[in-house]
Amino acid sequence: MQCKPWLKNGIRAVGFGLALLAAVLVVGHYLMPHSNRYLTGYTAGGILGEDFDTIDVLVMGDSNAAQGVSPMEWYSQNGITGYTYASGWLSVYNIYYRLQNIYTEQTPRVVIVSTGPVYTKKGTETYLQCAIGDVADELLPLLRFHDNWKYLNFGNLLEEHDYTWRDVNKGYTAITDVGAYMSGDYMYDIQATEHIPLLARLYLDRIAALCDEHGSELILMTVPAASGWNHARHNGIRDYAEERGLTYLDYNTPELNPGIDWRTDTPDGGAHLNVLGARKLTAALGTYLTENFALPDHRGTALYEDWDADAATYTAAMTELVATNEAAAAYQLEQIGHTA
Amino acid sequence: MSYNSFIYLFVFLGTVWLFWALLPQKWRPLALLAGSMIFYVATARRYVVFLLLAAGVTWAAGLLLGRLDELQAATGPSLPAPERKALKKRISAMKKGGVAVGAAALLGLLLWLKYLPFALRSTNTLLARLPGHVSITVPNYVLPLGLSFFSLMAVSYVVDCYRGTAKPAAHYWQVLLYLSFWPHVVEGPFDRFATVAPTLFDPPRPSYRAVTFGAQRIVWGMFKKVVIADRANMYVKAVFDDWTKYSGAAIVVGTLLYTLQLYTEFSGCMDIVLGSAEAFGVPLAENFRQPFLSKTVGEFWRRWHITLGAWLREYLFQPLVISKPMMRLGKFCRGKFGAAAGRNWPVWISLCLTWAAIGLWHGAGWIYLLYGMYYFAIQFLGELAEPTLLKLLPRLPGWRKTKGYQLFQVLRTFALVNLGMLLFRANGAQAALQMLRSLATPYAGSLLIKLDARDLAVLALGALFLLGVDLWQARHGVGLRQAVEKKPLPVRWGIYIGVVLLIMVFGAYGDNYDPAAFIYAQF
Repeated sequence: MQCKPWLKNGIRAVGFGLALLAAVLVVGHYLMPHSNRYLTGYTAGGILGEDFDTIDVLVMGDSNAAQGVSPMEWYSQNGITGYTYASGWLSVYNIYYRLQNIYTEQTPRVVIVSTGPVYTKKGTETYLQCAIGDVADELLPLLRFHDNWKYLNFGNLLEEHDYTWRDVNKGYTAITDVGAYMSGDYMYDIQATEHIPLLARLYLDRIAALCDEHGSELILMTVPAASGWNHARHNGIRDYAEERGLTYLDYNTPELNPGIDWRTDTPDGGAHLNVLGARKLTAALGTYLTENFALPDHRGTALYEDWDADAATYTAAMTELVATNEAAAAYQLEQIGHTA
Repeated sequence: MSYNSFIYLFVFLGTVWLFWALLPQKWRPLALLAGSMIFYVATARRYVVFLLLAAGVTWAAGLLLGRLDELQAATGPSLPAPERKALKKRISAMKKGGVAVGAAALLGLLLWLKYLPFALRSTNTLLARLPGHVSITVPNYVLPLGLSFFSLMAVSYVVDCYRGTAKPAAHYWQVLLYLSFWPHVVEGPFDRFATVAPTLFDPPRPSYRAVTFGAQRIVWGMFKKVVIADRANMYVKAVFDDWTKYSGAAIVVGTLLYTLQLYTEFSGCMDIVLGSAEAFGVPLAENFRQPFLSKTVGEFWRRWHITLGAWLREYLFQPLVISKPMMRLGKFCRGKFGAAAGRNWPVWISLCLTWAAIGLWHGAGWIYLLYGMYYFAIQFLGELAEPTLLKLLPRLPGWRKTKGYQLFQVLRTFALVNLGMLLFRANGAQAALQMLRSLATPYAGSLLIKLDARDLAVLALGALFLLGVDLWQARHGVGLRQAVEKKPLPVRWGIYIGVVLLIMVFGAYGDNYDPAAFIYAQF
């Protein structure tokens, strides 16, 4: 039987598309990092090295969360196991797909999504371009890891992927620099609302549905950020949270402010938190978790021996980091005093 | 909406093509117009007003010229000879008036928006040297997208209608479609109305071959842009934006990479736009023909941005040479300095003005004028030196036929073009001169500026690959796509998939790179 030309061409086009997709997926597989240490920025990838179903609280977000929430503090004080899955420029689109992946190994009781990524986009990109780029990155690993060809050679090309690396800091990245923010109140009410971009909202809905599906409590949380947050954005997230019946914790508001001193608790003029700021935020968030959830104390139990060891290492390292940060803060205050 | 963006390639093109293909034939041109308007408004927003205005002026001028021709054709033959002559004279005068007003209005728009601020800034520089501290306020205009392209295409349409080489469009939308057709509105090519009108207004039926050929050309353009141009951009940007830090080899490598960047970016963009138009059955004019195989700079400019050179030759240089002032100058020179001077000087002066126009078309600034004059000086001095060279080297004509000498010519042209590129990319005339001076100072630092050795290897291999394709095409005289088309299906698919994977793996995109916007879109 003779095929009609349009049908023949259609079959040929579909066949070519499938062959191309197969090639893209195969090449993408070989370009993925051999260790979970390099799967994403900061140390977020370390969560894949944790034992299955050991994380009770998962924090997800961008660099603000990575430098702002240190879950090991919760473990040291209350035995709560948490992980901060966060890296620079992580978007809500990325968060959705990464959360989907994390659920294959973990079943956190609480998922805290940092709201910074809702409004951020790179450079001159539109929100749509940003969404398309990030979703494509997630669906096709080749796009996300394409530059890894630089680290491949004949010796390691066919090596098995080893995703067992664990992070002692559980995704937290400590910064001890101090760079004061001195521009005053950034949360004054201008009676405005910055609505959540349409596609970001759609993916927030998908994140909420995913959490529902896995029985996790979803909390929206904003890390204190004097130079990246404002009242209009707060209103946008607050409205969304109210509409969806979600808890929203904005630690920039006077009611929840954990006592951030913008002269000493930020390394870069209010964009992120340093160790001193992170400790305050982590403590406030820890208090909220212990007051509102009956999360088990895993300290000293058989399954969590690694965590106990990690906690000891973490505490020792943090003592030094806090001292370094305090010295930098004292110097900064001195400088401010001279200027004043 | 950039030509290399996901939205353009996978959303816009696909949607417009489907819409276009599903419509009845007589409605298809309107689908192209709708696509063009969506593209322009999505990219330039309210500046579409300038495009609509230019199309209105162009259409009206063309219509007037056409009506005058019709009037002459309809009434002329029935009139007695003396009246016929008078009518012809009157209509000729009216046509001249019409073309002059139309072209002046269109060029006026370009001059006003693009060159007025430059002229006022230059005037202020002069005024600053005079007593009294007088200065003129310089307006800060935002250039409408593609102004330098659509205004010159509009002028060519009006002049062609005047000359009778193009039949005036009956409807405003036809002129609007010609000027705004999205594949050529941002970076050209400068298409002639008479060439593209037949396929724009009565396109061929949608075909699988046209779509696949178009897609292949787009992929080839993406390879040039994403793998080579965007990677080279990081090195070039570092060296030229921070030029005081670099000297010697760093500037040489930066300049070579800028040449590579500009070529791959502009020709890559042309591949994308020509491929886009090809999918709709509209063949646009080619803008490149292996320019780096040129033996002289004149030949280089006939192979590089071909349609700009052709436009300026046809609508500026040739009318200038045969203009009354030039004729008078020729006569004067012949009387004073002899027949050769009478022949050459009008040509040289016209050529000088044309090169100045080429330079200034790229941007309103002294550096661009210097860039144009650089090429004029090379051509002028080359012609002046020719008789002396022949006297000194009587065997030169024979040498010129040898392969070795031809290779020398190609390399010499390449070196001269690179020098021109340095002037073109430098941040102003002062920086260009300083960079030229710095070439003599050895550079002690690492040549791995913003790029690692692997990136430089990709650039070198990419350049060699392009050279190989250029040589292959120059030798075989057929397109690569036609050659690949004849291969068995597995080989064909292997090649296509291989090229797509090359772009995806070696493309300079993502967090580690800083891709540049299309350079020519800024002109």
